[in-house]
Amino acid sequence: MVDFTITGKERMTLFGFMGIGVICLIATFLWGDPADISGHHTRFWANILHNTVFFTGISFTALFVTCAFTTAYTGWFVIMKRVWEAFYLFIGVGLGLMTLFGIATYLGLHDLYHWNVAGVTDPNSPAYDELITGKAGFLNKNAFLFGTILVLALWYFFAHKLRSLSLAEDVQGAKGDFSFQYNIRWWAAIFLPIAAFTSAAMIWQWVMSIDSHWYSTMFAWYATASWLVSMLALTILLLIYLKSRGYMTHINGEHLHDLGKYLFAFSIFWTYLWFSQYMLIWYANVGEETIYFRTRLDQFPVLFYVNLVINFLVPFFVLMRNSTKRKYGTLAFVCVIVLFGHWWDFFQMIRPGVLHTAHEVHALHNGGHGAHDTKDVSGHSAGHDDHGHSHSAHDDASHGGHHDDSHGGHDDGHGGHGDHSAFVSGFTLPGFLDLGTMLGFLAFWVWFVLGRLASTRMEPVNDPFLEESLHHHT
Amino acid sequence: MASKNKEVLFGLYNDEEILLTAVQRAMDDHLDIMDVYSPFPVHGLDPIMGLEESRLHQAGFVYGSIGTLTAFLFMTWVFTRDWPVIFGGKPYWSVPAFIPITFELTVLFAAIGMVVTFYTVCGLGPGVEAKTLDDRITDDKFCIAFDTAGQSSSEIEKLKSFFSSTGASEVNTKVL
Repeated sequence: MVDFTITGKERMTLFGFMGIGVICLIATFLWGDPADISGHHTRFWANILHNTVFFTGISFTALFVTCAFTTAYTGWFVIMKRVWEAFYLFIGVGLGLMTLFGIATYLGLHDLYHWNVAGVTDPNSPAYDELITGKAGFLNKNAFLFGTILVLALWYFFAHKLRSLSLAEDVQGAKGDFSFQYNIRWWAAIFLPIAAFTSAAMIWQWVMSIDSHWYSTMFAWYATASWLVSMLALTILLLIYLKSRGYMTHINGEHLHDLGKYLFAFSIFWTYLWFSQYMLIWYANVGEETIYFRTRLDQFPVLFYVNLVINFLVPFFVLMRNSTKRKYGTLAFVCVIVLFGHWWDFFQMIRPGVLHTAHEVHALHNGGHGAHDTKDVSGHSAGHDDHGHSHSAHDDASHGGHHDDSHGGHDDGHGGHGDHSAFVSGFTLPGFLDLGTMLGFLAFWVWFVLGRLASTRMEPVNDPFLEESLHHHT
Repeated sequence: MASKNKEVLFGLYNDEEILLTAVQRAMDDHLDIMDVYSPFPVHGLDPIMGLEESRLHQAGFVYGSIGTLTAFLFMTWVFTRDWPVIFGGKPYWSVPAFIPITFELTVLFAAIGMVVTFYTVCGLGPGVEAKTLDDRITDDKFCIAFDTAGQSSSEIEKLKSFFSSTGASEVNTKVL
C-alpha cells in the first residue's frame, strides 16, 4: 500500500533515453534518410507514425482488457489494476500525437499515404488512381484527421471515466460495496463493442492504408493482437520492476504465472492470425493481394522471417513449460524479446509500404521524361502485376510509373539504384536512428505511466474483488 | 495395481481448510498417509503432501510432437512421392497448406495420448470398477486415508486419536 514516487535516478535515465529519442528524430528529419527521394522526410514521419500507433495501441489494449476483465467479473487482476489504468491514460497523449500527425497528413507534409497524394482521385491528373478513388470515401484526409480525433477522444473519454470511478471507489466506497463496481462494469460493457469496431477502423486508416491498394480482413485483428501481446509484455516487465523496487508486494508468482499464460496464449493467437492472413492470401493467389507478401518476401526477407521467429517460436518454446512462467528472469527475457518483436512487426507492416509510396510519389514528381522509362521497367516486372487491369483502363504513360514498380522511379531518379533488394536503412531493417526513436518513445511512455502510478495509491483498497486478488492461486 | 488388500482407515472432514490443517499435522507427525481424497482440487494440498509435479504434460509434449511429425511427414510423402497432384498451381510440397492439418493432428495426438496415459496411470477405464472409500468423497466430504494392513493396535489407536484431534467428522474402515 506504499505510495509510489519516481526516484531521481529513474527520472534521469528516462529523460536520457527521451533525449536520445529526440536526437534520433531530429537526425532522421535532417539527414539519415536514404529513402527521402520525395523530400518530405519520409523516415521521420514513418518513425512518428510507427511509434505513436504502437504505444497508443498498447494503451488502448490495456483499456480493452480492463473492460473485458471487469465485464467478466474477473477478480485476480484487481491488485494490479492501477498499472493498467496508468497504461490506458496514455490514450490522452496518443490523442495529442495522432492529432498532430493527422494535421500533418491533412496539410500534406508527408508522403506516407498514397491516398493522400494530390490529385489521386482526379481523372485528369497524372496521379489519378482508380482503385484509391473507389476507396476515397474512407481514405481521405478529412476522415483521417477527424475520424482519428473522434475515436481517440471517445477512447479517452472511457479511459477517464473508468479511472475516475476507480479512484472514487477508493475514497467514497467501502469494503463490500458493489455500487462502484456496478457502475464501472456498466461503462466497461459499453466500451467493448465500441472498441471492437473503432480499433479496426483506426488500424485500417493508420496502418493498413499505407498499402493503399491492398486490404485484408484479418489485418485489424492481427495488429490488435500485436498490441495486446506488447501490452502484456510491458505489464509483466513493469510489475517485475516495481517488485524489485519494493512495491506491489502482493503480486506473487501466481499473478505473474497468469500473465505469463496470457502472454503465451496471445503470442499463439497472434501467430494464428498472422498465419490465417498469410495462408488465405497465398491460397487464393490473387495478384492484388499477394503483392503484399511478395514484396516482403523478396525485398524484406529478414523483416519477414525474424518476425515469426521472435514473436512465435521464442515465446512458444520458452513459455510452454509451467515453471518458466513463474521465473522472473525467464519471463522478463521473453517479454523483452516479444516487446521488441511486436515493435518489429509494426515496422514490417509500415515501412515496406511507405518506401513503395515514396518511390511512387517521386516518380510522379519526375513525371515528364520519367514516364517513358518507368513504362519500360514495368514491362518486365511481370511478377508485380498487382494492378494490371488498370493499365488497360487508363492507358496514359505516366500512370504506369506510379503504381507499378517503384524501382522504376528509383532508377530514374538516382541512376545506379536499380537493384530490387537494395538495402535502405530504416526501411529494409530498423537502423540505429529508428531504434533510438523507439527507446525515446518507450522512455516517454514509461515516464508517463510511472507518473500516473505516483499520482495515487498504488493498490486499490475498496474494490470488492480485492480479497480474491490477494489470495489468487493458479 | 493393487497387489495386496489394503485395510484402510479413513477419516472424513467437512471442510477443505480443516483438511489442509489435518494433512499438515499428519506430515509433521510423520504419519504415512496413503492418500487424500477431495471432491474438487484443493489449492495448496500438493505442496503440503510433498507431491511432485505431474509429468503428464511432458508426456503430452511428446505425443504432440509425434502428431506434428506424423501429419507433416505423411502429407509430405503423399503429395510428393505417393500421389502428387497439382492444386491451383501450387507446388507439390505446399507447406502453408499442411500447417492447419499438422496443427490439428498435434492437438489430437496430445489430447488422446494424455487421456489414455492418465487413465492407465490411475487404473481407470471402461469396465473398471472404481474403488471408492465412501461415495460422499465425490460430493461434499474430504478424506484422509491410512493403510493399516499389518499395523499394531497401538498404531491404529494413534491414527484414530489423530482423526479425533484434527476434527474429523467420521472415522471408518474399509478393505480395498
